Amino acid sequence: MQHHTEAESSSCIGTGLECATAVTPAFDAHNNLWLAWVAGGAVSVARSTDLGRKFEHATVIGSYGALMDGGADAKPQLAIDVRGRAVLAYGVFKDKAYNAEVLISTSASIWAKDGPAFTVPRSLSLDPASQRFPTLAFNPDGRLFATWLDKRTVALARQNGQTQAGAALAYAWSDDAGKTFIADTVAEDNTCECCRLALAFDPKHQPVIAYRAIFSGHERDHAVIRFGETGRALPAQRVAEDHWVIDGCPHHGPSVAVTTDGTIHAAWFTEGSARQGLFYARSTDHGQRFSEPKGIGTIAQQPGRASLLAMGDSIRLAWKEFDGKRVLIKEQLSTDAGRHWSIERIIGETHHAADHPVLIAHGREAYLSWMTHDEGYQLIKLQTP
Amino acid sequence: MDDARRGLSTDQIADTMNTSSFVRIWSLSLSILLGAALPSSVQAGSSTRLLESDSFGQVRIRYAHKPLIVHIWGLTCGPCLEELPRWGEFEKLHPDMNLVLIQADDAPIDAVRSALDHAALGSVESWSVPSELDEFSRARIDPSWNGEMPRTLLIAADGSVTTVRGVADPVQIARWLTLQSVGTK
Repeated sequence: MQHHTEAESSSCIGTGLECATAVTPAFDAHNNLWLAWVAGGAVSVARSTDLGRKFEHATVIGSYGALMDGGADAKPQLAIDVRGRAVLAYGVFKDKAYNAEVLISTSASIWAKDGPAFTVPRSLSLDPASQRFPTLAFNPDGRLFATWLDKRTVALARQNGQTQAGAALAYAWSDDAGKTFIADTVAEDNTCECCRLALAFDPKHQPVIAYRAIFSGHERDHAVIRFGETGRALPAQRVAEDHWVIDGCPHHGPSVAVTTDGTIHAAWFTEGSARQGLFYARSTDHGQRFSEPKGIGTIAQQPGRASLLAMGDSIRLAWKEFDGKRVLIKEQLSTDAGRHWSIERIIGETHHAADHPVLIAHGREAYLSWMTHDEGYQLIKLQTP
Repeated sequence: MDDARRGLSTDQIADTMNTSSFVRIWSLSLSILLGAALPSSVQAGSSTRLLESDSFGQVRIRYAHKPLIVHIWGLTCGPCLEELPRWGEFEKLHPDMNLVLIQADDAPIDAVRSALDHAALGSVESWSVPSELDEFSRARIDPSWNGEMPRTLLIAADGSVTTVRGVADPVQIARWLTLQSVGTK
């Protein structure tokens, strides 16, 4: 049989990695690879000491059944600092109206002798509004930054008899690795409510968020938000005028990375009137202007689900394509902060369902982290420039 | 450290949510079994069925040479849920049209049925995916579909497809129906 059926794809019942559809990797400072994944309505973590061949300490952190927000654009988030403190975040639907909340679970030391002790999951934000799509990371100073999509201003507008499209982009900082959060606030209204956020840090260790905004009430195009030295959000800057007018959910968020020279790199999917497909652009002036969008991949093969990875002044871009028979992961590489790019090459291939690609660095190596139905979890080492 | 969880297996995590997980797996399995027991050509009644790999192909065969509207929506898609009752109203105004609904989020089927009943669409033929659609399963419905929702396919009797991306304009749909000189069920 050439293709599995939809029923077969759901027949993997259990919370193990083998049943996962969305997997997030993170390395710790002792060369261990940690994964967070969603399977069987639960979110779990496990550790590999051999670059993803075998996993141990598999732990279910929370089990929510049908209420788990486990779509592939809503991957669980896992961040580990140099001291071995870990933070896991994910979305869970909390009522029949499909309002959600962002939960976090932390570990004081993932290197503890008897295994990583993750806390009982709790709500990241004190605000009761619906929240989804968390993204978080430690900056190089060890401060934890979290951002997510939040309905608090939409709810407020409704109370005042107004309608506000989409959601808002909220954020918070933590100085104790996720035990407590400060400055839980909204940066921008009018974000797409169903697309993942992308996060990187600039050379001053401040966050850069790329997200699908809603411009003029109906154009679901992309923007970046930078942060000032006080850690407060600056006004959003538009990445491109794609003019994708859609009253709907694209379910397709962007990727962002910053090279050490400060260049901001963005990749995103659009079906706008100006252009359609997967695109890349860069900004060398802190996001004020982005370069003309460059089309990526083979348009007839649905290129999308970009993952950008900056290492020094090198930048890699991986994405997913589908040729009708195979899911392909392709990559292009630039060693000069995105001025020139290599030709594309295939770095992953499978014949059945597959997760979106994630590029991850460890030491001087770059890897593709990829979960597929047929091959299971793979950490694929990429060619060095 | 009372709240710490060290190396627990799934079975040891006993929180209230586990019940719904169990119910969901059970209802999925039951639906698959029921689906397998039914003849594949059976006309849809008031229940939502799980979309199998050949389900949509059979829908197309059943409505071959007839105009057909396929509306794809998702239970976690806000604009879809706002739009759904308008499809209920539209169906009441155009009871002779051929309308098939596909719920395309990874969502429990009882919640899907409840949303359809709430939108006065309980008696319309409807399907729901048993897990999040991948590229292969999307292509079986619409090869040019990138996964955004809602999405409406206006399929003419000659098989030509007009795609409406995002929330549909009922006036546009009505105009299309008139052009098809309204196929009968």
